[in-house]
Amino acid sequence: MIWDAFFLSLRVTAVATVIILVLGLALGWLFARARFRGKLLLELLVALPLVLPPSVVGYYLLRALGSGSPVVEWLHIELLFTWQAAAVASAVVGLPLMVQSARAAIANVDPALENAARTLGSTEVGLFWRVTLPLARRGILAGLILGAARALGEFGATLMVAGSIPGKTQTMPLAIYDAVQSGQRDAANQMVLLMTALAFLGLWFVRGIESPRKRKAPKERAA
Amino acid sequence: MTTAQRTALTVDIDVRRDGFRVQVAFEAGREVVALFGPSGAGKTTTLNAIAGLVTPAKGTIAIDGTALFAGGGREAVNVPARARKIGYVFQSYALFPHLTALKNVAYPLGGAPDAESQAMGHLETLGMADFAHRYPDELSGGQQQRVAIARALAREPRLLLLDEPFTALDESLRRALRKELRAICDRMQIPVVLVTHDLSEVLALADRVVVLERGRVVTQGSPLAVLQRPGAETVSRLVGVENIFEGTVLSSSQAEGVTTCDLGGLRLEVPYAPLSQGARVRIGLRAGDIIVAGERPSGLSARNTIAGVVRAVARKGFEAEAIVDCGRDVRVEVTPRAVKSLGIAPGKGVWLVIKTNSCFLIE
Repeated sequence: MIWDAFFLSLRVTAVATVIILVLGLALGWLFARARFRGKLLLELLVALPLVLPPSVVGYYLLRALGSGSPVVEWLHIELLFTWQAAAVASAVVGLPLMVQSARAAIANVDPALENAARTLGSTEVGLFWRVTLPLARRGILAGLILGAARALGEFGATLMVAGSIPGKTQTMPLAIYDAVQSGQRDAANQMVLLMTALAFLGLWFVRGIESPRKRKAPKERAA
Repeated sequence: MTTAQRTALTVDIDVRRDGFRVQVAFEAGREVVALFGPSGAGKTTTLNAIAGLVTPAKGTIAIDGTALFAGGGREAVNVPARARKIGYVFQSYALFPHLTALKNVAYPLGGAPDAESQAMGHLETLGMADFAHRYPDELSGGQQQRVAIARALAREPRLLLLDEPFTALDESLRRALRKELRAICDRMQIPVVLVTHDLSEVLALADRVVVLERGRVVTQGSPLAVLQRPGAETVSRLVGVENIFEGTVLSSSQAEGVTTCDLGGLRLEVPYAPLSQGARVRIGLRAGDIIVAGERPSGLSARNTIAGVVRAVARKGFEAEAIVDCGRDVRVEVTPRAVKSLGIAPGKGVWLVIKTNSCFLIE
């Protein structure tokens, strides 16, 4: 049970992290650099899962992924009560952390550097990869780790859309709840320690990224 | 027409940004044009428009007859910045902090197999080969500027833009780099547009100057002609020097601390400069630094006592400005009370007293 839940959690978190990375980069860039109508609304929507109860987020996802929703009709995929649904729920909840961090890191890159890259022949995509991303990478990585850690610990929304089917959709946070409910104290202890260790590692990593040693990584230009 | 005179760059733009409007028109051959004016005059906006980083509401920008920007209507041309092949040295240099000097210079060379050896060549030209593997924050301001110029040259530009290239540098470094930059400009045979608010930079580097104020061209022409043009009030206010003379060195004595110059009928002793006889010089003199005497004064420490005849007197605010013919016209600032008590009027003979240290050499 412990190891089933552990590996399921890893798989769910890995997929969620990929989604968070791709969407988070795109949205972070959009919020930092682009001007468009409805930007504020989109920003608030993306940030909403930070402050909403996970059950509310889960309810929305349940409606969005359930039968009769446009997503299901259009894409012909049934995700509810599969581990993929857990990954989607984890991604939605972890995304705001990544977006906030990536947006701040990208906004902090001096626009003059991007202009310089333009005059030196770079396309917009080219300069993003060669200038913006390398200079913002620390903030982006920190945001990604925080988002992934949040995804790993996702409980409420996952329970709503994926249930808690042992060996199928029961990730570690759910398994811990289950273990406590059924009085399996040893299993609960082990999983709690494992989760704590992972969370601790993640935070330690973020600290390491945020306070780099001299020169190994050149510092980002302030202002 | 020589190659230098033939039009290589045409700029005629109308840029509107955040309630600020810049309307600038000028042409340049294969020469150095200075955009000169106070901050907020629209100098950098003009450079950005030429580089393609800012889009004008309307107008034309063309290099060698090829339009980079034209109009604002349906038939509009707007070549993106990346395709303009313009070298731009930014005011803050805008070196990529995550790349070494070499990688910075190699940036515009893309994936060419010999990109790094080419980049090394450009660094060598600027005397920066020894610093190729340093990061920008490990370089001094002057070194960063050289890397930025090398990077702009690596683009093989059709036009070079320089935004206040020397502001971050100290005076001695400025002089040395100015000389080098002038040599590079002469060698490259492309138009160079230089933004500056420093008069000595204009005189040291520019073949032509376009004076901007509040988004408009006030005047343009050869630096000396523009700066000397009588009545160009904006210019003299910007420059802060009303009298600029061109001439040759007659003699120079380090022991006495003076250099004597012939400024076309006007002979002035100026502070010592290591110049040989016959060298061309430009001397600046503020109108307010000149004393006017009704009779020949004597026993003064001031080395220059020059006889002249008043040609004109005009009221300028709380001051009066007299133009005195001493072989060359000299503009002198005096108080209206002095005008009255000395009887300064056209035709009146006066003596001008000028301290050696009031005269300064403009490079």
